Amino acid sequence: MAIHTNLYLLVFLPVVLIIYQLVPRKARWGVLLAASYALYISFSKYLVLLLMATAAFTYGIGRWMDRIGNECSEKQKECTDRKQKSEVKKAFQKKRVVALRVGVLVLLGILFYVNYYNFVAQNVNIFLGKLGTQLPMARVMFPMGISFYTLEAVGYLADVYWERYPAEKHLGKLALFLSFFPQIMEGPIARYPDTSDALFAGEPVKMENLNEGFLRIIWGLFKKMVVSDRLSYLTTHLFTNYKEYHGSFIILAAIAYTIQLYLEFSGSIDIVIGSGKLFGVTIPENFNQPFSAQSAAEFWRRWHMSLGTWFKNYVFYPITVSPMVKNWNKKARKKYGKYWSMVGTSAMALFPVWVATGVWHGAGWKYLFYGMYYFVILLFGVAMEPIKEKNLQKLGIDKDAKWLKVVRILKTWVIIFTGELFFNALNLRAGFAMFFSIFGNFHISSIWKYWPDVLTKGDVVAVCAGSVIVWIVGFLKESGVDIRGKILNAKTPYKWGVYYAIIFAILIFGAYGTGYQPVDLIYAGF
Amino acid sequence: MEELLEILQDIDDSVDYENETALIDDHILDSFGIITLISEIEEHFDIEVDAAEMTPENFNSAAAMWEMIQRLQEN
Repeated sequence: MAIHTNLYLLVFLPVVLIIYQLVPRKARWGVLLAASYALYISFSKYLVLLLMATAAFTYGIGRWMDRIGNECSEKQKECTDRKQKSEVKKAFQKKRVVALRVGVLVLLGILFYVNYYNFVAQNVNIFLGKLGTQLPMARVMFPMGISFYTLEAVGYLADVYWERYPAEKHLGKLALFLSFFPQIMEGPIARYPDTSDALFAGEPVKMENLNEGFLRIIWGLFKKMVVSDRLSYLTTHLFTNYKEYHGSFIILAAIAYTIQLYLEFSGSIDIVIGSGKLFGVTIPENFNQPFSAQSAAEFWRRWHMSLGTWFKNYVFYPITVSPMVKNWNKKARKKYGKYWSMVGTSAMALFPVWVATGVWHGAGWKYLFYGMYYFVILLFGVAMEPIKEKNLQKLGIDKDAKWLKVVRILKTWVIIFTGELFFNALNLRAGFAMFFSIFGNFHISSIWKYWPDVLTKGDVVAVCAGSVIVWIVGFLKESGVDIRGKILNAKTPYKWGVYYAIIFAILIFGAYGTGYQPVDLIYAGF
Repeated sequence: MEELLEILQDIDDSVDYENETALIDDHILDSFGIITLISEIEEHFDIEVDAAEMTPENFNSAAAMWEMIQRLQEN
């Protein structure tokens, strides 16, 4: 029961909402947890036990670290001076780090086994084959959402270790945070303080939240069903039969897939955030007009923000301030100067982030390549930053000139489209074949001549019109106009006018019914 | 505090550090700026900034950074 299906939207969600409102406030978190596990069972059946075990395990490790911390405080009370206290703290910190390592290794170990074991085994077997031995392949069932809830659990343990907040004492509260049903399929990856209190509070259902949640859900459906699902027929056709196409069609495929992915993923996140809002839970945003970004670095601060933030908090910064990197930095500053030490430190911190970001999406060389692609571009951006400013000054160009912003945005689009071309290619080899075929036989006119019949003229009109509407809304938001707020605060007839307009647009122009296949959520597969 | 403001001005002199309170939240100071900042303040103030300190609250304003520096100097 995916979150864009009728079963979820018209049956599951209203039923959960009614039961939630009917039970006493103190028991409402239990309704949300039961609903979350019920939805999970509909996908992954008995693998719900793994989700439950993950919650119990994470809870146990958190409490273990807290207990060591309490013992440390007790011991410190017996100390007479600051030096003694600091030594006691160091000794107990060593015990806490053991607990953290156990927790993180087990959580990431399961994620690794489920996602990557067979991929690694396949590649290792290429070498082992020569020695006459083979690693066995595992028959692994994919637990829905494991890539999302594992990162949430690891983030929680790291924060408890760094004493950013105490470990949760209520197992149910932590279990609900890790499994909340709207978020389980595609995130966003929340931090514990983001949603845990609101999930547990059992706030009564409020009209304003219903309005806001409803608007967000239908807007998400519009993006997905009118534009994204339609485009998926074109992109599936072009990416599968890429050998028959070249030049302008490959560019079209890359652009179409980027739009499809954005509207599908951000549309699904709208449904997720809207669903949370119905229960008074504010789920963190995951997108912020990513196509307004003027650099690849800015793009990643606006696209899949919760993943970027997670890697920044739990990989990038810890590596940056790790003793090894800091020592290197100190020596490099003396030897090579500030600029090169900064570039070197950035490289050391960015490399693991982008290997991890790439393979987080799945086991495959193309995902690793996708990560490395952005690693190189971002590092190049860091290295060029001071040089760029000097050059602009030399040429007498205002760095805030509007035309320059447009150039930067267009340059970022090219980077994004190219990245998504490899990301969605059948495999890395196909990605390169597609990429290089752009430069041969490039004729814009051939698009109309050889247009594949998977998308009719009507479909193209619906896609273009839908994209333009989404773009206008995004443009207004970027310009500081709170269009959602304006709709929600409008008089009832206007507000319902907008609701009906969106609903009818979905019903009339949505890609469903005869001739259309339901399209699965892309990020639910990661 | 003066020394800290000088370090910050060196990283980006177009920011009003004395009044800005959302350096991280508004992405005025990006991750790479933070890398430079940390090595500078560690050297100037003889402190160790570890992973636990890497929160937006500690870096959102010059005042918050100064508070963190003083706290770390005491430890």
